[in-house]
Amino acid sequence: MTLVVGYAPDGRGRAVLHLAGMLARSGGDDLVLCAIVPAAWPPSPARVDAEYRAHLDREAQEALERAHERIGGNLEISTVVRHARSVPAGLLEIADQHDASLIVTGSAASGGAGTVTLGSTTSRLLHSSPLPVALAPRGFRTGADARVTRVTAAFGGSGDDLVVGAAGVAARVGARLRLASFAVHPRPPYTAGVGREADDALVREWMQEIEAAQRAALERVRDLPSVPPDCEAAVGRGETWQDALEDVDWEDGDVLAVGSSSIGPLARVFLGSRSAKIVQHSPVPAVVVPRGVAAELADEAASAA
Amino acid sequence: MASLEDGTTSLWQQIVRRKPVAAMTDETGTDTGEGELKRTIGLFQLSLFGIGATIGTGIFIVLTEAAPIAGPAVVWSFVFAGVVAGLTAICYAELASTVPISGSSYSYAYATLGEGVAMVVAACLLLEYGVSAAAVAVGWSQYLNEFLDNLFGFTIPNSLSNAPEADGVINLPAIVLIVLCTLLLIRGASESAKVNAAMVLIKIAVLILFVVVGVTGWNSDNLSDFTPFGLAGVTSAAGIIFFSFIGLDAVSTAGEEVKNPRRNLPLAILIALAVVTSLYVLVAFVAVAAQPLGDFEGQEAGLSAILETVTGSTWPATVLAAGAVISIFSVTLVVIYGQTRILFAMGRDGMVPPLFHRLNPRTLTPVPATIIVAVVISLLAGLLPINFLAEMTSIGTLVAFMIVSIGVIVLRQRQPELPRGFKVPLYPILPIASVAGCIWIISDLRAVTIYVFFGWSTVALLWYFFYGRRHSTLGKSS
Repeated sequence: MTLVVGYAPDGRGRAVLHLAGMLARSGGDDLVLCAIVPAAWPPSPARVDAEYRAHLDREAQEALERAHERIGGNLEISTVVRHARSVPAGLLEIADQHDASLIVTGSAASGGAGTVTLGSTTSRLLHSSPLPVALAPRGFRTGADARVTRVTAAFGGSGDDLVVGAAGVAARVGARLRLASFAVHPRPPYTAGVGREADDALVREWMQEIEAAQRAALERVRDLPSVPPDCEAAVGRGETWQDALEDVDWEDGDVLAVGSSSIGPLARVFLGSRSAKIVQHSPVPAVVVPRGVAAELADEAASAA
Repeated sequence: MASLEDGTTSLWQQIVRRKPVAAMTDETGTDTGEGELKRTIGLFQLSLFGIGATIGTGIFIVLTEAAPIAGPAVVWSFVFAGVVAGLTAICYAELASTVPISGSSYSYAYATLGEGVAMVVAACLLLEYGVSAAAVAVGWSQYLNEFLDNLFGFTIPNSLSNAPEADGVINLPAIVLIVLCTLLLIRGASESAKVNAAMVLIKIAVLILFVVVGVTGWNSDNLSDFTPFGLAGVTSAAGIIFFSFIGLDAVSTAGEEVKNPRRNLPLAILIALAVVTSLYVLVAFVAVAAQPLGDFEGQEAGLSAILETVTGSTWPATVLAAGAVISIFSVTLVVIYGQTRILFAMGRDGMVPPLFHRLNPRTLTPVPATIIVAVVISLLAGLLPINFLAEMTSIGTLVAFMIVSIGVIVLRQRQPELPRGFKVPLYPILPIASVAGCIWIISDLRAVTIYVFFGWSTVALLWYFFYGRRHSTLGKSS
């Protein structure tokens, strides 16, 4: 399969290269390194801006070549410079051409180190991509031969597709599987006459339910034709999303899979928030999987011999 | 000459040094295979492109300036300006097809006629793009005022919507328009092919609306004295009007992509020219028949105002003003964009400071160049009257294309062996006629315009003498 890697032609954002390298090594995938530069404009055969665009092309090509060297290894890597009216549009076009299975991008430069931050480009990509999108946390680094060792699927208690699909992918790349659910419950600043801990019972109740759901989901995973080497479950609890995400342990080689935030029951059950929140507080690379793709992956996993 | 020697390279050698075509194809990526343009554009498409690139804008602005100079014979001024524009476009097509590069006429001049000529062409292009952006912005402010007046009964006070010479203080709406365009360009905004097509359609629709509605006010009395100012009036009006044919030259640079360019290039230029000129002539005819000559002088948002007089109701004028406000915005954006990219190319060549080719790493737009261009254009648009701006644009364009026409003759003499994708028919009559036409129009422009142009060219040459020739990337590399 092919992974399309969006690389900013200014040469920043090595994190995305480290992530792309890790993913490609794990799945034995090809990489297409892409730089998107502004399209010819005005849309006409008159080229008053020819030198300008040639300059952009060359700079982008050089950046891609440096990136190619940086990833190194014996991966199949090709480079593409494309003119497009927007970066997401350009990446999606390339992904379509190469029949890619995943788009890999970095975090916005405005975010803090160590977490995934959605910028204008990645947000738009997440809203328009029919493919899964992998997001590297800012400053993400791996060793030269790092692989994905564990796939953590964010699990909201219903909707198995993402879990089963993630299990299929984990089994294929030889990584462990973990289900993670997050209970975010800020304590109210007022007592409302019943004390600030009044809701804690509610959260405990929810946690018991989610743990049962996790067990049920893991049962189904164990029935798959091809099972990941190890399966576990975790629940992160906290007053903020950050606390909840930090409540579960993370290791190098972890990748977090999250269902698409725009649609689906998966997003809704996270105590009234969106999976975008999970992505934005993820300390490890996150892969946002559209619901349709999750269903396909689940079918593949179920039918794999 | 000896006194001007500068190290090993004499001034003359510097002026005539040409950018090797190999270096240029390197820059534009022709050798990578990606820069190879497929011949995909047919005659129909090319003609449409020419019409789209040329039509509109100018006519919204220049008609009321040109009509008092020529009288009803302004109709002939349009034909005359159109013919000269067509001749220069055909000459440009040969030059563009001689060098396998793409770019503005500055780049073609650098490759064929040398650094000094390229600098003069660049100075002219600053007028064709930068100053025309200012002229267009001033016209926009007039139509905006008309639109606001008709719709809300509110106008921006005279002192804030006119240049000092027109009894104002500053033309604020024009500056606001330029600032808006600049912000968009800095963010890296662009216009899709669909939006561009829509803008062209709006312009054509608005002009047709003017003709259809305006013809109801036809009064032959207004045409009784058809040429009150004789031939001189016709040609000096053509000087202002030439402005409205800018864009026709864009067809010429499409050479590499055109199927059968020998046949299709000149034909497309002629078709575009015929369509555009016919529409302009219709508009001009309706306008001069609809109102007495005396009414044109000082009329703002001319086409709208005429419609209002003719119909006695405001809605056609409002529709026209709205169309003008929308489409002129788009034109301003495109022109400022073009200017910044020409300066980018010059910055790369060392003709202007490197600041002009500095790009913002995120948006990949030349932010410093865009801001500098915007400030200069804003000052021009805010402080100078529209007829002066239109004439400066015209003279810049005319001189640039006169040089191109001369260049065609020079190259035929000097390098007859060069392969040419397209050759001017009727050589040498056509290039000579083109040069003569340009000179004729220029000679009838107002003296002040010609003086300012010479002043500006002198500045450009001094700039070249003290900066460009020393910093030339080409000079440094050899």
